Amino acid sequence: MIEFYNVSVKSSNRNLLSGASLKINKGEFVYLIGKTGAGKTTLLRLIYCDLFPSTGNVIVDKFSSSTIKKKQIPYLRRKVGVVFQDFKLLPDRNVYDNIAFALQAVGARKRAIKSRVLSLLTQVGLNHKRYHMPTTLSGGEKQRAAIARALANEPFILLADEPTGNLDPEASRGIVELLEKINKSGTAVCMATHNYELIRYAPHRTIVLENGLIRREIDSKNISSIRSL
Amino acid sequence: MNLFFLIKEGFIGLKRARFSALISIISIGLALTLLGLFALLGQNLKDIFFRFYKQIEIEAFLEPTLDNKSLNSLKTKIQGMDQVEEVIYVSREDALKEFQQTFGQDLQQLLNENPLPASLRIKIKSDFSNPLIIDNLVSQIKALKGIQDVIYQKEIVRFLHKYFKIGVLVITSFALILLAVIIILIFNTIRLTIHARSAIIQIMRLVGATNLFIKTPFIIEGILQGLAGGILGGSIVILIGHLIRDIILPETAIPSILFYAILATGVFLGFIGSTISVNKYLKY
Repeated sequence: MIEFYNVSVKSSNRNLLSGASLKINKGEFVYLIGKTGAGKTTLLRLIYCDLFPSTGNVIVDKFSSSTIKKKQIPYLRRKVGVVFQDFKLLPDRNVYDNIAFALQAVGARKRAIKSRVLSLLTQVGLNHKRYHMPTTLSGGEKQRAAIARALANEPFILLADEPTGNLDPEASRGIVELLEKINKSGTAVCMATHNYELIRYAPHRTIVLENGLIRREIDSKNISSIRSL
Repeated sequence: MNLFFLIKEGFIGLKRARFSALISIISIGLALTLLGLFALLGQNLKDIFFRFYKQIEIEAFLEPTLDNKSLNSLKTKIQGMDQVEEVIYVSREDALKEFQQTFGQDLQQLLNENPLPASLRIKIKSDFSNPLIIDNLVSQIKALKGIQDVIYQKEIVRFLHKYFKIGVLVITSFALILLAVIIILIFNTIRLTIHARSAIIQIMRLVGATNLFIKTPFIIEGILQGLAGGILGGSIVILIGHLIRDIILPETAIPSILFYAILATGVFLGFIGSTISVNKYLKY
């Protein structure tokens, strides 16, 4: 479903990613772990075509980074949900409108938007806060709203770039539990983090990155071997 | 694509960023006011020159032996020339009367005869008020049978033409520089209002909105800003024009198209400015 073939990304003075090859299967839960600057965000950006490889090829569903046309990119992004550490919610709209916006942006009909948004709000446990503005929400609630928006167009994979970076441990565990729930319903999840405690709390296949290189892969059974970064 | 949603988003965008939008509208309005005043000045200078030009006449003196039939045929021939606006026949008697009115002397009594020849006074269309064209016309008329001599205010025509050309050059140069400054100003103002909402563009891109979908509300906003700025600028220019006409120069011309031209310029620049600015955020 997502395949990296010997992918390198060079910026002006350094390699952001070097010779990365990996595969993320349908419905899988994968962690990307590594220090700041290890290449986690670069790897995620390559998936949603916010960045292109200098060499190598990235395959996402039926799209290939080497052949995708500019006008096809929005259609790829509808199949890939993305959440960030800083939530990226629109501060001038309430929770409902923030989620609805993702559906309006792809031209969904009003009635379909309403039922989908209400279902997503229930899924992430924010139904009671649907008319709240983002500024009145806790960090965990903001991230739940961001996750709901990312799921609005029913993506086959959810990319989470340090989604717990701004959250306390309890809220972080709540977010990982939510991501696991989403994963169990069939959506693949790829989460970048540098919090190995969280990986031990909810173990899944983990890809360790260091200085733009994939150092090793650990399967969920051997997660306890991760001690520190 | 839901056009109604996009138009609504355009209006909502203006409402949400009302302070920066207001600043943008005022900047566009003032910039267009300057441009409009230049256009008004240019139009009025042109009118003044053409008013002078309209007074220029070619006077073709007729052979004394010319009969009525030949006179009529000569008149028709000259009237048929492309450059000619009007041909007026001035008989020897009319010429004498005009002389007496102008100089207060009875020439016939003084000389015991009327020495003035009959003539045709030829007015030129303002489009052909070029010394070269007039010279050419004079040569053509001179060559006609029945014409004794042709005179016109050659030096005045050359003087007017020279200064008209300099005037046009100066005004056009200033207007072009002003236009360039205004375009940069309007683009920058719109760019700032769009930059203030780059987060919304980023989110739209992430959720898979097409570039056209992302661009449209911003372009609508740009057009609305340009329209509002155009109304502001156009109104100020017309108001200033009326004040000048009522208080200082009663002959000031205020072309009715000027307001609409300023409006159209505002809308056009708003459209182009927002399109270029929003494109900068849409690499992929």
